[in-house]
Amino acid sequence: MTQLSISHVGKTYADGTEALRDIQVRANEGEIVAILGGSGCGKTTLLRLVAGLDTPTEGTIMVGGEPIAGTHPAISAVFQEPRLLPWLKVGANIAFGGQRLEATERTRRTEALLGRIGLTGYGGRWPRDLSGGQSQRVAIARALIGHPGVLLLDEPFSALDPFTRGSLHELVLGLWAELKPTIVMVTHDVDEAVTLADRVVVMKPRPGRVHDIMTVDLPRPRDKLSTAFELMKRRVLRTIDRSLADDRPKAVAASGAGGTSPWL
Amino acid sequence: MTPHASRRVLVGLIIPVGLGVAWEVAVDSGLTAGRLMPPPSHLLHTAILLARSGELWTNVAATMGRIGLGFLFGAVAGTLLGVLNGASGFMFRLLDPTIQALRSIPSLAWVPLFILWLGIFETSKLTLIALGVFFPVYLGVLSAIQGVDRKLVEVGRVFGLTTTGIALRITGPAVLPAWFAALRTGLGLGFMFVVAAEIMGASEGLGYMLVDGQQMGRADSILVAMIVFALLGKACDSILVAISVPVLRWQDTVRARL
Repeated sequence: MTQLSISHVGKTYADGTEALRDIQVRANEGEIVAILGGSGCGKTTLLRLVAGLDTPTEGTIMVGGEPIAGTHPAISAVFQEPRLLPWLKVGANIAFGGQRLEATERTRRTEALLGRIGLTGYGGRWPRDLSGGQSQRVAIARALIGHPGVLLLDEPFSALDPFTRGSLHELVLGLWAELKPTIVMVTHDVDEAVTLADRVVVMKPRPGRVHDIMTVDLPRPRDKLSTAFELMKRRVLRTIDRSLADDRPKAVAASGAGGTSPWL
Repeated sequence: MTPHASRRVLVGLIIPVGLGVAWEVAVDSGLTAGRLMPPPSHLLHTAILLARSGELWTNVAATMGRIGLGFLFGAVAGTLLGVLNGASGFMFRLLDPTIQALRSIPSLAWVPLFILWLGIFETSKLTLIALGVFFPVYLGVLSAIQGVDRKLVEVGRVFGLTTTGIALRITGPAVLPAWFAALRTGLGLGFMFVVAAEIMGASEGLGYMLVDGQQMGRADSILVAMIVFALLGKACDSILVAISVPVLRWQDTVRARL
């Protein structure tokens, strides 16, 4: 288990575009933090900085108390698309995530994970033979084979149908309960954030900043039909609406034309 | 060969065999004399005579030796420079403009210079063939490396691959399909350039057979050389495809389903 700390992080591109400003987020050990916000608020940029795929122009990112620069062995990621390597079979794709493991242990964990994601017997197949949901399961297994301290999820369920998405939520929560990585997930789905996260970070755009951080104080497993769940979702939606209202042109906001939230 | 594969081969033979039969019938029935375009039976007879005398095999061996060596040099140089320029932005900016400028020179324009520099014998011929093979291989490898999906490279980075690891485990496999396609194009050009090389002054080779046939008024000899060229070219291309099939079986392409 690893704590992730993002302190005063900013990102300005070479052309002068400020994507992120003074981001401060802390994900405690074994916590699930969801990052929500309108488009262009820098959610994915923030996740890329944490993954080490991009460099912040200001601030520090720390894992387990150590500042990081670039990719880090304790940090793993699942992307919006499965990004499986088409020239590796399914088993080899999962094993690919365990570069630092000893070969026998890597094989043992690959087999175990294939069973855990419901794809026993699929290890020798090509990625092209998998459905979208199956591919994303493999991507999740690949990300977890090395038992990372921090798992980053960049909208990995957004392209899936609701049924598949629900089953993948269960899978992620099950694996999280076993391995307890700290999870930081980017999503635009409020329902998904309230289902999975312990805390929700709402961001606002231009430049991307933290608008509010909310605790989801609901017991697990969460009942989506409960009043408490519904109330939490409404709270998050109102917060997002306020974050977007701050960004709307004043004349539109005053006329009331922009008063209806796109999230409601 | 599976029944399915046999059927595919047979389908490919329909047009050449059909044309051959039609021409044979046309000559047999007196519709045409067949002096400048001898019928298949005559060509077969000529080919057997040339093969029995050993002349055909000597020419085939000379041509294939030149193509083999020229292809090897051209493919290796094209691959190495393609990798170098694809991997290094500085090298790309340094070398690529010159290579592209050289590529614009019609390859046959090099012939007089090569003869002047390297003499009339094998070195100039091999250099010309290698030059023909080099450009498509270089371009294929370079553009394939530059076109590797950034998202897959990021996967390699996130899971801890070093630069060498990314080159070997991500870029390498990603480039393989384009590399094989470039090699096939290069091989085709190698066959084209061996003819030019042998026409420019050889005492043996299928290209020499063409020139000799023209000078001696032997249309049958020319046609036999052309058919042997076609058969050898197809055979070499098929060998490349056969090598690529097991390496590229992961591809999810339309071609794999044909």
